Parts: sequence; structure tokens; C-alpha cells
Amino acid sequence: MGLLSILRKLRSSPEKELRLLLLGLDNAGKTTILKMLAAEDINHITPTAGFNIKSVIADGFKLNVWDIGGQRKIRPYWKNYFENTDILIYVVDSADKKRLEETGIELYELLGDEKLQAIPLLVYANKQDLPNSLPASDLAQALGLPTIKDRAWQIQSCVAIQGTGVKEGMEWACKTIKKK
Amino acid sequence: MSSFKREKKEEEDGGGNPFQNIEKTTVLQEARTFNETPVNPRKCTHILTKILYLLNQGEQFGSTEATEAFFAMTKLFQSKDVILRRMVYLGIKELSSIADDVIIVTSSLTKDMTGKEDLYRAAAIRALCSITDSTMLQAIERYMKQAIVDRNPAVSSAALVSSLHMTKIAGDVVKRWVNEAQEAVNSDNIMVQYHALGVLYHIRKSDRLAVTKLVAKLTRMSLKSPYAVCMLIRITAKLLEEEGDSGSSNNHLFEFIDSCLRHKSEMVTYEAAHAIVNLKRTSSRELAPAISILQLFCSSPKPTLRFAAVRTLNQVAISHPAAVTACNIDLENLISDSNRSIATLAITTLLKTGGESSVERLMKQISMFVSEISDEFKVVVVQAIRALALKFPRKHSVLMNFLSAMLREEGGFDYKASIADTIITIIEDNPDAKETGLAHLCEFIEDCEHTSLAVRILHLLGKEGPRTKQPSRYIRFIYNRVLLEDPRFRAGAVSAMAQFGATCPDLLENIQVLLTRCQMDPDDEVRDRATYYSNILSRQDKSLYNNYIIEPMKISISALERSLQEYIQGDTEESFDIKSIPVVSPLAAEEIQTTAQKTDGMLSSTGPSKPVQASREENYIKELSNVPELQQLGPLFKSSDVVELTESETEFVVRCIKHSYTKHLVLQFNCTNTLSDLLLENVRVQVDPSEGYNIVKEIPCPKLPYNETGTSYIILQFPNDLSQSVGTFGAVLKFIAKDCDPTTGIPDTDEGYGDEYILEDLEVTPSDQIQRVSKVNWTAAWDEATEANNYSMMNIVFSLSSVSTLEEAIKNVVQYLGLQAAEHSDKVPEGKTVHTLLLAGVFRGGADILAQAKLVLSDTVTMELTVKATEESVAELIVFAIE
Repeated sequence: MGLLSILRKLRSSPEKELRLLLLGLDNAGKTTILKMLAAEDINHITPTAGFNIKSVIADGFKLNVWDIGGQRKIRPYWKNYFENTDILIYVVDSADKKRLEETGIELYELLGDEKLQAIPLLVYANKQDLPNSLPASDLAQALGLPTIKDRAWQIQSCVAIQGTGVKEGMEWACKTIKKK
Repeated sequence: MSSFKREKKEEEDGGGNPFQNIEKTTVLQEARTFNETPVNPRKCTHILTKILYLLNQGEQFGSTEATEAFFAMTKLFQSKDVILRRMVYLGIKELSSIADDVIIVTSSLTKDMTGKEDLYRAAAIRALCSITDSTMLQAIERYMKQAIVDRNPAVSSAALVSSLHMTKIAGDVVKRWVNEAQEAVNSDNIMVQYHALGVLYHIRKSDRLAVTKLVAKLTRMSLKSPYAVCMLIRITAKLLEEEGDSGSSNNHLFEFIDSCLRHKSEMVTYEAAHAIVNLKRTSSRELAPAISILQLFCSSPKPTLRFAAVRTLNQVAISHPAAVTACNIDLENLISDSNRSIATLAITTLLKTGGESSVERLMKQISMFVSEISDEFKVVVVQAIRALALKFPRKHSVLMNFLSAMLREEGGFDYKASIADTIITIIEDNPDAKETGLAHLCEFIEDCEHTSLAVRILHLLGKEGPRTKQPSRYIRFIYNRVLLEDPRFRAGAVSAMAQFGATCPDLLENIQVLLTRCQMDPDDEVRDRATYYSNILSRQDKSLYNNYIIEPMKISISALERSLQEYIQGDTEESFDIKSIPVVSPLAAEEIQTTAQKTDGMLSSTGPSKPVQASREENYIKELSNVPELQQLGPLFKSSDVVELTESETEFVVRCIKHSYTKHLVLQFNCTNTLSDLLLENVRVQVDPSEGYNIVKEIPCPKLPYNETGTSYIILQFPNDLSQSVGTFGAVLKFIAKDCDPTTGIPDTDEGYGDEYILEDLEVTPSDQIQRVSKVNWTAAWDEATEANNYSMMNIVFSLSSVSTLEEAIKNVVQYLGLQAAEHSDKVPEGKTVHTLLLAGVFRGGADILAQAKLVLSDTVTMELTVKATEESVAELIVFAIE
């Protein structure tokens, strides 16, 4: 027993664990972002029936990323995963203008939830490579992000399938946590 | 590690269960820990164990709390700890039926079952299938197919067994996995092969031809897994049993089972021997090798083998007494076996096969250890005693004393019920034993905790008591119940007393006094019954007694309930007509028993048979109510057995059911199309009725695709002259046939051609128009009919030249007339040449029928049949028909 505890002390103190919640409508690209973060193959991604979790080490943090399916029938279960969240990541399909209103409604529902109060918000404006996609700044306006005063927020344009922009978003997330 | 050791030690010391004092609310509170990051695997595993323990102990979880715990548990997926993950799978399985929204873990489980970690895969499949419903199954179908043929045996087995479970909710989807299952049968792993065979059989079991092919194929390739061979033996035995003697492949099948007797695995040889001795068709020559295997096992050092062998011998002791007697010496040795279960079975087997002289010695041996064995085996002993009592009626006093001693001991309901059953059987079978038997039962109800049993005995006392030499002595026992017990007892006792009042005129006055007292009872039912009986008894009218006290209601109770409910909801202006309720035949109860026995010894995968609750007519009424034309015919009176109008393996299978209404006969034809390249339309059966019948309407079946069964109906009006109502109808199946593509079932052209197919003749007999009625006291009813003036009587003497025994004659008469034998008169005591058969029934329209058949056996059987019926033409019909 004694030896074991000594060995334990010798080990470096474990990195701080963070809990990231990855939400958004179906087909926004949540699972793709998750797989990109974990550097996994993104060729066979099917709609998520339930949730996926991945742990990634970044900036001395261990990030536990929870990706919950965005289909309409799974959305009611989102609330079960709000507890102990450190960062809320919301993924929007910038090219899907038809559902812009729907995604906004879902986002504000999240922001109004007690358990997610004052939790920093990162919005990924995904699919910037598509021809008729809205740029991040327009999307921020359309979603009314500038009116958010009760928490830190950031919008990050990205192309998940190429991996551009994803890392930058994560860096902001880690920085925000460090500041706290 | 050390804590684990300590726990183990405590367990050995009897230090108790570490989970003994846990409480649901506390554990659920603790389950919130699951939400914390990082996850502490050790702590969470422990909490999950507690949850599983509680569920296993039968603790009820509400759906909200279960859902909450479930979602908390899903958070544990972030931990990579193997033990914890596997506990999570168990948790998912246990909570899947209680919690809502369990599909949330679908994605995670699908990932685990296809992932790299082999330790996760099998368990993930099982958990996934427990949360999947038929709509979701399609989504995971691809993964399931892959898993079935996976190289890892644990994964493959898990997928196969889960498929088996899924057939209950989505049989069609699982059917599509047949190719994968087929591949898995070739696996080298014994469990995979076994499970794959199970799935294959399950997919095909409704199609006998496919099962035959499967068996033929598998019996040729030698299966590696002994479990699979055992299963195959069971399937083969079932096939043999179903085919009877007709199948040509029979010998081949039997040879396979026979060859398994020489298999190197004991399990397989036992299974083969068990199958052979249980097959109905086995001849004594074929039996011998199987019995010698069992005999060998009787002296095996392994208790399981000894037990299996002696249990099988016990089961077949009645059907193959000679073969079992050959093992007598081995069985004698097993009486002193240290395993009491084996000893019990050995002794009861000996009882079944032994001679009259050995009864006393064996009974003494049983009584030495009867207190040491479990209830289940006590029931086996009781059943052996029952068989013995039927075989050696003279030994009834020894056996009865033994039974009553057992009755006084402690024991569960099943045990007590089987003893009471046995005593009742002995009483019914052996008039000498009646008085002592009743006395034992009286004593038993003085101190009986099982209400249903006591009520049954009270009923029996009411039935049998009045006809003993001294009826008054039973009344004290019955009335004691009224004073002491709960309402159900008291109501039963009141009914029993009324029986005495109705049957024994000299006791009537006393009974009336007792019934008057019962009218003060605090319970409604008891008071109602007392008032009802007291009222009828005060009328002093024999026929009232017979109809409303002695004879039970002859209508279907469930139908009565349904009709009354409909009546209350509808127009209550008209009075309720009890004649609209179908008469229930006493046969229904017997049918239930035989079906229950049939399932015994069959494949375990067939599951327990569903209890038949509604009568046959009840079931048909539901079916017939879909046909509007039949609604105006009034209540259904009787439905016949199913009559086959074709050979079983022809192009079209037609079965007929004859439904009798008051004035109409409805013929229901169930037609099956077995040709895959034909679509039948406008399918009807044209009948050529005998003289006097009028065809009112034909209802054809519009469309009959391959492998489906359609129904057409014909409504006929019964002839006014009853004697014409018995006859033979010619029948032809007529239809328009269209050639079609066998795979899609879509017809090639719109043009069809008319065709016909000759069917076997259909006979209408008196039994189609008569419903059986069970008369408890037939003699009383007969006497009453003699006195009453509304009965007409017919008499005839003739010779039944085609039969040579009384049993056969009785069987034929009962079957042809459709009357119910009363007072066990259908059983002929051995060696008698003269017998009187007492029959009762009711004709469509409501005429009561009583018949007495005096049978004399010389070379042929001569019968004098006397019929009394409330309608002259009915009596004439019966006499005329039997000629």
C-alpha cells in the first residue's frame, strides 16, 4: 500500500478536465467536428442516434467533448447533459438559410436554461466552403449574438470536413477557461 | 484488493451481505455522482452494483427515477474503465424496460459493438438489443448481420441470442438474417453453432417443409457442438411426432436419433434416449437400446446423469411399463441414494410399475423420507400415488391414510392441491373410497389456508355428500365454515348446503334454518346466495331444484358477461334473453388439459401454451362478427370441429367448420393456396346440399394469394322437417386462377380462367346441432322428465355390428350424437359386458335432450337407446339418425 501511494504522488498532477457540450441542429456537422478534434476518420459518419463522447488533450486540458444528436426527436434529451458543462459549443450550418430561424430558437432555449447560465458560448459557423453560405459576421447578426451580455461568446467560421477553423475555436475555449 | 478479501472472508463467516441495508432513495442520491467529471470508476462501479442489486431484489423503480438514473448512467460512457463500462451495459439492460427514452445510448452502443475493444462488443450487442424496438431495428440491422458472422465467438453468440429475443418484436426483420445464421451454423465454436441452430429453427419453425429440409441437411453434416446436436434431436423428435406415421422420411429421422445413442457426449446420448422413449411411435425393439442407455446412467457416479435417467424413466413408466421394469434392480438401488430427489423419483417409478404386493413396502419407504424432500418432489410422490390408486382400487385405504397424513403436514399450495386432486380422483373413481375420502377432506377444510382449494372441496361435498348414506354428518363441517372463514369460504359453504337441501328432503327443514341465519351475513355475496337458495328451496318444486341448484349454469360465463355489458349500454326496454348466450360444452375444460399435456416434453423454445379461456364458440363469434351477413341469424349455437375436405399435401387445402344457428347452418371454408405461381380470385365452395336445405347466401373470398388462408361462407337454412337435417353434401372448390410471378405475387395478366377442384363430401350429423350439457345428477333429471308431461320419448333397439368393444361403441355414440356422458358413465369398469350410458344435451332452439343407452356385449354390441326430449321431432331425429 505504501509503495503504491508513493508511486501515485510521483506521477505528475493530472491535467484539468473540462466538459464541452457540442450541440446544434441535425446535419450541422457536430460529429465531424468531434472526429476532427480527435483526428479520426470522417468518411463514415451517420446521423447520431444518441450521443458520442471523445476526450482530447489540448493546452494542458483534458477536454471531454459530448456530441449529442441534433435530430428533432433527440433534442428533448439535450437537457439531460447540461450539468457541469464548462463550454457550450453550438454548431450552425451556414448554408442552411431555411433553418436559420429554427437554429436560433434552439440556441436561445439553451441560453435561457438555468444550468447553462453564464457558460461561455462558442458558435461554429460551419460549412463556409459551400457557395451560398453566410459569412460568420452576418450569421452572428442573424442569430443576434451581439445582444448577449451575460456570458463570453465567440463566433468562429470553419470548414469541419477540411478541419479549418476548428482548432482556433478550441483555442478560444481554453483561453476563456484559463481566464476564469 | 484487501477490501475484497475481507468481504469474502465475511461471507464465509456468515458475516452477511454488504448490500443488506441499502435503500433505494439513498442509492439514487448517490447515482448523481455519475454526473461528476472526472469519473471515479471505482466509486461509480460500486454504486451501479447497488442499483443492480436493488433491481434484482425486486425493488420497484418509478419511471421518472429510473429515467433520471439512466441518464446519469449514460455519462459514464466517458470513462474508459472496462469494468465500469460493462456494468453500464448491465445497467442499461436492467433499466431499459423501466426508464423512458433509452434510445439515447443507441449511437454509443453501436460504436462499442463495432469497435476494437473485444471486451465491450458482446455485451454492447446485448444491451443494444434490449433498447431497440422494431422501428429502430432497421437502423442497426447491418451491424447485427456483421456481428452474427463475426470471428469472435462471444460476439457471434451474443448477436445470435439477441436475434432470438428480437424475433418476438420484429420477426420479419430477423428472418432476413437467415443467411448469416446459416453461416454461423458452420462455426467451430460449440456455443455459436448451438445458438445459430436455435435462430435458424426459430426463423423456420412455422414452415414445416423448411424445417424438414433443415433437419435433413444438418443430420448429414455432423455437428461439432453437443448442444446443437441435442437441439437437433429435439427438433427431429418434434417433426416425427407431428408427421405421425405418414411421412416417408420418418425412418431416416429416426435413424438419426438412434445413431445419436452412440454419440461420445453423455448429454447427447441422454437426449437421444429421452427423445426415443417419449416418442409415441417407438416400438419395443427400438426402445431397448434407449432404455439400456438410461439404465447405464442410473449407476453413473454423476448425480445429474442419475437424476436425468430416473426422471425420464419415471415419465414413461406408464406408457412403457415393460421397458421400465427391466431397470427395476437399478431403481431399487437408487432408493437409498443420498440425493433425495433421485430417491423420490426412483421410488415413484417403482410404484408406477410395481405389483400390488409391493405397494405397502414402498409406501413405508417413502414415509421415511417424505419430510426431507421439497414440495415439487412431494407432488411427484402424490401423482404416483394417484396412479397407484387407479391401478389397485383395493389398496385405497392404505393410500388414503397416507394422503391424509401428508395433507396434515406443512406444504405449499401446489402440493396441497395435488393431494386434494388425488383424493377427489380416487373418490370419483372408486365408490368404496368415497366416504373415507370425503371424511379426510372434511377434516382438511377445518384447517385450510388456501381459499380456492377449500372452495373446491366445499363444492365437491355439495355434489357428493347428499348421495352418501348419512348426508347429515357433512353439514356440520360445512356450516362450521360459515361461522369462521372469510366471505369466499362462506359463499361456497352456502352453495354446498343448498345442494343438500335440494337433494335430501328430510334435511330440508334444517338447511332452511341454517340458510336463514346466513341471510344475516355481513357479506353481500353470501347473503345473496343464501336468499336465492332459500327462496328456491321454499318452493318445493323438483324441476326448480334441478335447474337452479343442482345443475351448474350451462352457458358460457364470459359470453354472459359480455352480453350483459352490451345490454346495459343499449336499449334496456326489451328484456334480456338468456338464450342468446352460447351454451358452453363441458368439453372445453378437457381440451385445455390435453393441450397442456401435449406441450410437455417438447422443445423448450415453443414456450408455455396460452391458456384457452374462451370457449370454442366464443372464439368463432369474434371471427364471425366481421361478416355482416351473419349478424341477423341470431346467436351462434354451436361450432363443429374442423373438418378437412382435402388431403393435407395438395395444391389447395380446404377446411370446413359448421356453425349452427337456431334456424340456419353456416359453413365456413378456410382455404389455403399452396401454389406460389397462382393468384386465386373469387374463391368459393359450391355445395350440393341434401334435400330440404335452402342456400340463402354465398360469401366468396375475393382474393387468395400464395401461402395465405382466406375464408368463404355459405349460409343455409335448415329444413323444416328435422329428419332431413342430417345428410351428406357434395362440395366443389371454384375459383378464377391467374398465373403470377412466384417471387412478387403480381399476376402476369389481368385475364384469369375459371377452374374447379373436387373436394371430399361434407356430412351434417346430429352432433352439429346438439350442444353437450353436463348433468351432475342425471338420474334426477331423467326421473323428472318421466313425470313431466312436456317430454316425448322414443325407444329403439339395434345392433352395432362394426364395433367389438363397449368402449368403442360408447365413443362412437357420444361422438355421433354430440351428447355429453353424465356421471362418468362413459367409463366402463373392466370385464363388464353390460353397461348403461347416460347422456344429456340441448338441441338448437333450446330443446333439452336426455338419452339412455343400454349396451350389451356379445360378439357384437347391441344397444337399446331411449331418448327423451322436449320436442318430439328432436327425439325422432336422434333415433332416426343412429339407425
